[in-house]
Amino acid sequence: MMLSLLPQLLVSGISSGMLYALIALSMTVVYRATTVVNFGHGDMVAAGAYAVFVFGLGFGFPFLVAMALAIAVLFLAGFATQRFLMQPIVAGPHLSLAMMALAVGYTIRGALRLEWGTETLNPSRPYPQDIYMFGNVVITTDDVVICGFVLLLLAALFLLLQMTPLGKVIQATFQSQRGAALVGINVPMFHALMWGGGAALGAIGGVMLSMITPLTPDLGQWTLVQGFAAMTLGGFGSLGGAVAGGILLGITEKLLGFYANTVFIEITGYLVPILVLLLRPQGLFGRRAIVRV
Amino acid sequence: MRITQAIIAVVAMAGLATAARADSTQGITASTIMIGNMGPFSGPQSTFTPLNYGPEAYFRYINEQGGVNGHKFVTVFADDSCNEAKGIAAAKKLIYEDKVFMIMANPCSGVAMAIKPMLVQEGVPWIGASANPKISRPASPGIFHSTYTGIESGRAMASFAMGKPGTTKIALAMHSDDWAHGYCDNATDYIKGHNGEIVATTALEHGATDGTAQALQIKASGAQAVMACLYQPELIVLLRELQKYQVDVIVLGALGADFDQVIQAFPNHDYLKQRFFQPYQFKAKIGTGPLKKFHDIFVKYLTKDELPKVGEPTNFYYFGVPAAIVTVEAFRRAGPNPTRESWEKAMESLKDFDTGVLADSETFGPDKHVGVEKMYAVGLSAQGQETVYKAWGDALPDTE
Repeated sequence: MMLSLLPQLLVSGISSGMLYALIALSMTVVYRATTVVNFGHGDMVAAGAYAVFVFGLGFGFPFLVAMALAIAVLFLAGFATQRFLMQPIVAGPHLSLAMMALAVGYTIRGALRLEWGTETLNPSRPYPQDIYMFGNVVITTDDVVICGFVLLLLAALFLLLQMTPLGKVIQATFQSQRGAALVGINVPMFHALMWGGGAALGAIGGVMLSMITPLTPDLGQWTLVQGFAAMTLGGFGSLGGAVAGGILLGITEKLLGFYANTVFIEITGYLVPILVLLLRPQGLFGRRAIVRV
Repeated sequence: MRITQAIIAVVAMAGLATAARADSTQGITASTIMIGNMGPFSGPQSTFTPLNYGPEAYFRYINEQGGVNGHKFVTVFADDSCNEAKGIAAAKKLIYEDKVFMIMANPCSGVAMAIKPMLVQEGVPWIGASANPKISRPASPGIFHSTYTGIESGRAMASFAMGKPGTTKIALAMHSDDWAHGYCDNATDYIKGHNGEIVATTALEHGATDGTAQALQIKASGAQAVMACLYQPELIVLLRELQKYQVDVIVLGALGADFDQVIQAFPNHDYLKQRFFQPYQFKAKIGTGPLKKFHDIFVKYLTKDELPKVGEPTNFYYFGVPAAIVTVEAFRRAGPNPTRESWEKAMESLKDFDTGVLADSETFGPDKHVGVEKMYAVGLSAQGQETVYKAWGDALPDTE
């Protein structure tokens, strides 16, 4: 009986993991570009979900239009955060940057609580919720939509980064910002664009998340932990690692929760970084950093 | 000389402290009674603030009738964010700066437990909506529960589930905090005491966005019913997963969730019909029959910001109001010159007092500071109608 549920747990783990992967990827984009871990990223994810709710239910836009607007708004928010809050202190200690990111996140959360703190919202899906049975494995439209959308997005990102001149510029700047500056690339603008891109990707994650879970201003809190754990597991700064880390985390959570104890579900996101940092600090796909002094 | 000064200072401070403790009319003037209304006006638990606004609406209503014995109620709100440290600071401010007569509402059990020693020491009355039964059991001077604690609610959850013929295997799905244990521990006691069996205990923590492992564990355990001691977002997550995996159980939610809002989270209610229930505190359906009066009070006396942004006042508004109703009645009985002692005596004199809201009437005594016991259950009938049940299959007349 217990083993017969393994395929179901794997499928559900992959579905949750895809979401974690998207969030970890959006955090990694910012980290690769600026070497800053955005501790406010979870709240940007939540803000993305609320933005779709506002544009959709508040202004009456169709779902896809509302989603496009939300992504645009979050892109601008991420861009502005870097430009006006991070850039002025970029020469300061790394801790200041991390604290600024954290403060921005808490400000977003506070603003969301101010408006929606007393309610739990349940945005409706723009598609029917159907269930498909494959043997004894249940797959819902949510699983299909989330996995399909994230896979499409990953494919698009891969094509952008690997196949286009813009992607080459981004990769080159990831590699060496000093080199990029020397060949005339506006690195501060690049940083701001990557913050915008990271926030926009996070907004997509928030929208996907709001399909399967009630919307509360604290949605980002849990999200940040999972994104951070997936990033650590995959290897800091590795885009492919973030995706693999997210999926592995999703599966680990389900297996530990079911076969060991459900209390492990909450702490998996904390256990994983501890184990990875102790046993393989570079993560599964990251490279060992060698600093010459 | 220094020793003499020190002795004088100590004696003076002790005198002041005694005087402060002894001032049993703090917060009362010739025309006003100052009430501290404490709750999570900010933070993740601010979904509970209707429990603060319910009593406030009633006080405004009473004030418009001229008050009680010439006194009108003046409320000082204090935000505890459902955080113990903030709660202690908020209570200190209410007691020592604002000098309130009493503190009420206070939906968060952790905060209520944290401030209880201060309340008892200072002799400040408390009447709240938090679920932890240890707040008012055993009876402490001035501390009252006019609403149901985890004991009544936990028993109601278990007894309703086990009222379904043949139901003996029960699973628990709960947060790991005091609040959830307040419900689930008492439900467990009832289940074990009535030849039932706990076949699975699963944790679903605050903020969880997925309940796959929990739903599958419940399914694998063969449970016939689930005691879901969860807040609203996580209860919705669990119900969605149980629906997804077609787990054939009845689910009893605790009072941390609003029934109507949970139902609204499911565009298709079919899975919830005769499956999802909650203990029900009221004598009629929300906003109907005797509760219509209170609906009108909420709508008239609360501001736009205090009312729900969408829809009608929900369960928590009504659940908060009995604290104000019994408080007002006790002041009425305490006469034109109330003190904390006379108010407490008046509270303890309430017997079979009908609040007009709750399923049970209020009965207090010197050793009994929880006023109500009997609860109903609410769920969707087979036809999908919100229905109040006295017991499994026994609908309250006029509520189908």
